[in-house]
Amino acid sequence: MNQQELDGILQKAAELKVFCEYGERTVPVLDEIASFVREISPAIEDLRAVVEVSMVNIPKAADQLGRVTQATEQASTDILNTLDRMVATLDEVITSVASGMISSDLGAATKKMAAIVKSLVDKSGWDEDIVKLAEAWDIHLQSMRMSGPTSNLERLLKDLQSDCTEIMMALQVQDITQQHIGAVMGTIQAVAEGLQQLTTGFFSTSSAEALPPTPSMPVQFEQENVGEAERKKMVEALLSKARAGQI
Amino acid sequence: MTSMKILIVDDSITIRRIITNALKTVGFPDTMEASNGKDALEKLTNANVDFIITDWNMPEMNGLDFIKQVRANPIYSALPILMITTRGTEHDVIEALQAKVNSYIVKPFTPQELKEKIEGILKTVQINTV
Repeated sequence: MNQQELDGILQKAAELKVFCEYGERTVPVLDEIASFVREISPAIEDLRAVVEVSMVNIPKAADQLGRVTQATEQASTDILNTLDRMVATLDEVITSVASGMISSDLGAATKKMAAIVKSLVDKSGWDEDIVKLAEAWDIHLQSMRMSGPTSNLERLLKDLQSDCTEIMMALQVQDITQQHIGAVMGTIQAVAEGLQQLTTGFFSTSSAEALPPTPSMPVQFEQENVGEAERKKMVEALLSKARAGQI
Repeated sequence: MTSMKILIVDDSITIRRIITNALKTVGFPDTMEASNGKDALEKLTNANVDFIITDWNMPEMNGLDFIKQVRANPIYSALPILMITTRGTEHDVIEALQAKVNSYIVKPFTPQELKEKIEGILKTVQINTV
């Protein structure tokens, strides 16, 4: 045995020593890993069951949200139809109230007086005093309309019309909630896709293939959860910047 | 009361009706409707539209793409456009402004707010064209 062969054996012995030392350290780690896997196996089974239930429940939840959207849209349409009819009816009533008086006797008398005054003006050849009388009569009629029950009724009807408009505007909430529901459905869809990938890669079961598609909805999440007033203020500030050519 | 024809572009029939009614109450009774950007582009070619009110999130063609197409067409490039949307982040507003929208409203809005925005845009457009 020459020196070179001896060196080779010593080298291998050193390597074996390192390997043994390494083994001494790795064997407990491998034992721990095995023990960990044994411990988490039931948890993985539980997770698998949860995933499988979710695969069924997520599309159901998406479907339910879709139904909520449809129901609120239908309700909004019905309310809008009713409001349209109310506004049209109020329009008619306001027109008839504005053009006539409440008391038919008073109305007839007033019309008769107006005709007499007009005739007087014409007949007098626009006599100054008669014209003044006609003007005074006009002012009297106006003040009667302004102070009488007719004007009060007209004002009340216009207030009702304004209330109808306010209810109509409040129905914007349907569209706003629909868009937020759309965003939530987008998130649900993303979770479902994530679970699908998880099951495909981790569990390798057929449940991943069995995942029914969740309804496709536009996903638009509002990143900034600020109040309406703050948001409007921010929009106005940006519009001002744009007007100043800064955007 | 003005005879200006306003094109309302929104996929929600509820919102289209709300905007139509709000416009009527503030003196803009002449309106027409489209349910998305693609539909609106078709309507633009068939009618004399003076003003556009558009939503952002719509199927087929969204409001932003619609605005970009309108601005790219020399015939409609100067048409006033007001965007009414639920999208209210700073990034959204800047993106819309960069697409050359004239003004922007975050839902919910009031008829008075709508009137002020339209009048503001018309005033600016008049100043720019004089």
